Amino acid sequence: MNEITKQAAENAVAKVLGAGFVHWTWDANGNAFGWVKLCDPKTLRGIAPNLADAGARLMTITAYRNDKFGRMEGREIAYHFDLDGVVVTVTTCLNDAAPMVPSITPWFRNADWHEREFGELYGIAVEDHPNPRRLFLDKDLDAGILDRMIPLSTLMNGASTTTLWEKVFAGRQLPEWAKGEQN
Amino acid sequence: MSTTPTRPTYTLPVGPLHVALEEPMYFDIQVEGETVRGVELAAGHVHRGMEALAMQRNYFQNITLTERVCSLCSNSHPETYCMAVENLSGILVPERAQHLRVIADEVKRIASHLFNVGIMAHLTGFDSLFMHAMEIREIMQDAKEGVYGNRMNLGQCVIGGCRCDIDESSATFLLGQLELLKPQLAELYGVFERDPLICKRTKGIGILPMEEAKRYAVVGPVARASGVAYDVRRKTPYAVYADLDFEVQTDTRGDVHSRAMLRLREAVESVKIIEQCLRQMPSGPICTEDMVAVPAGEAVARSEAPRGELIYYLRSDGTDTPQRLKWRVPTYMNWEALQVMMANCQVADIALIVNSVDPCISCTER
Repeated sequence: MNEITKQAAENAVAKVLGAGFVHWTWDANGNAFGWVKLCDPKTLRGIAPNLADAGARLMTITAYRNDKFGRMEGREIAYHFDLDGVVVTVTTCLNDAAPMVPSITPWFRNADWHEREFGELYGIAVEDHPNPRRLFLDKDLDAGILDRMIPLSTLMNGASTTTLWEKVFAGRQLPEWAKGEQN
Repeated sequence: MSTTPTRPTYTLPVGPLHVALEEPMYFDIQVEGETVRGVELAAGHVHRGMEALAMQRNYFQNITLTERVCSLCSNSHPETYCMAVENLSGILVPERAQHLRVIADEVKRIASHLFNVGIMAHLTGFDSLFMHAMEIREIMQDAKEGVYGNRMNLGQCVIGGCRCDIDESSATFLLGQLELLKPQLAELYGVFERDPLICKRTKGIGILPMEEAKRYAVVGPVARASGVAYDVRRKTPYAVYADLDFEVQTDTRGDVHSRAMLRLREAVESVKIIEQCLRQMPSGPICTEDMVAVPAGEAVARSEAPRGELIYYLRSDGTDTPQRLKWRVPTYMNWEALQVMMANCQVADIALIVNSVDPCISCTER
């Protein structure tokens, strides 16, 4: 069964990219994991319907930065599919300037929540999403806010008044850093 | 010319608190009289940013963190996380430890399933049955406390094996608890199967047909009660599930009642699994002695948590903290199918239907 399913996954990918684009690994129990790397997110529009035709089920989608601290640009998204027990992960690079991916909801109905989640957490636009509402974050918050490093000191200053520093610097000009709105 | 008067529809806010469990999820429900015509969900009330935290903690600290994603499936999270680390690092878990992991998994599954069916009884107004189910569940809570020292978070899984061995006296105690449980579980099954109040309130409501279950890609007991016979323990076995004799429970009715009955049957299967493990568990180490550094790369691991398929994706850049750790919990897949289950149901059935997917908001929002 594993070999037949593996072949189905290979065929689904090969129709778009050609043969030999799936890299395989196995766990200690012999379960197979296929890995596919795309350089252009638009290729998803070709691969997603083929995987759906092969009976794939979308399990989850993972967005991540190539450098988790954001010291350099670069984001990728990994789509994890299940084909009758075989896990196939299709990873695509994103454009740094305007990260955007096409929605795969036309072929995988359950991609709705996953796409909305990475859209709001990582600030990645999803093209043609049928229901582009916020999932977890309130609509008044900036997209990608959880992708930003906000020092606790900034967070605390932002949440407090400037009363303390006005008393400390009474009679003198308040320095810029002590002004709440600057932090 | 006469016109047929149309009944007005109203928006009924349900939640975010006390929809079924005391966890927040908000439902915007369009009703026409007492009949539900549309459902929109609003999540995010307990989003904790745990995946971001996981990237700040080292591989060992993340065992503790992932155990705290959810209390009811708190063994499945660190176990699957450890499996992802082990897959990436090529760590082989000793056979005894694999048995111990299965035992912890199944003990938690029994307790989780009994909790869910108990809440269902409460929501039907049958509170004495609720208390009875919780009393039976207490047998497994005592088992957890006796064997692991904790009633919810067992702290059993570590990378490369397990923390706590089950010696002869613990095994005897656990088997004794199972002997206590078995007749009471059978009796409880009979009550849920035949009681007129339970049947009246739960049969034929919240139906999820098989084709919709597949379209929404639901998992776990919700999928299996709709005829989708997918169980990770059988489909892609991990630990020692491949060597164990148990039946994947399925149903075709796909209603609230069938989901509860399926959970009770799964609890019976879990008892068999634990007994087999205790019987055939080989002697030997419970954790690998050679801990290797986690290399750069990526790995996926899956397990069958009480609520269904749990998947962990780990990406490492070769440092001692993950570059990315992502997990998708079973409930995440089951929420949207409520739109099908609640279509044209009565307002009074909303909480019962929500409970029938065994929702976990702390899991969903992480």
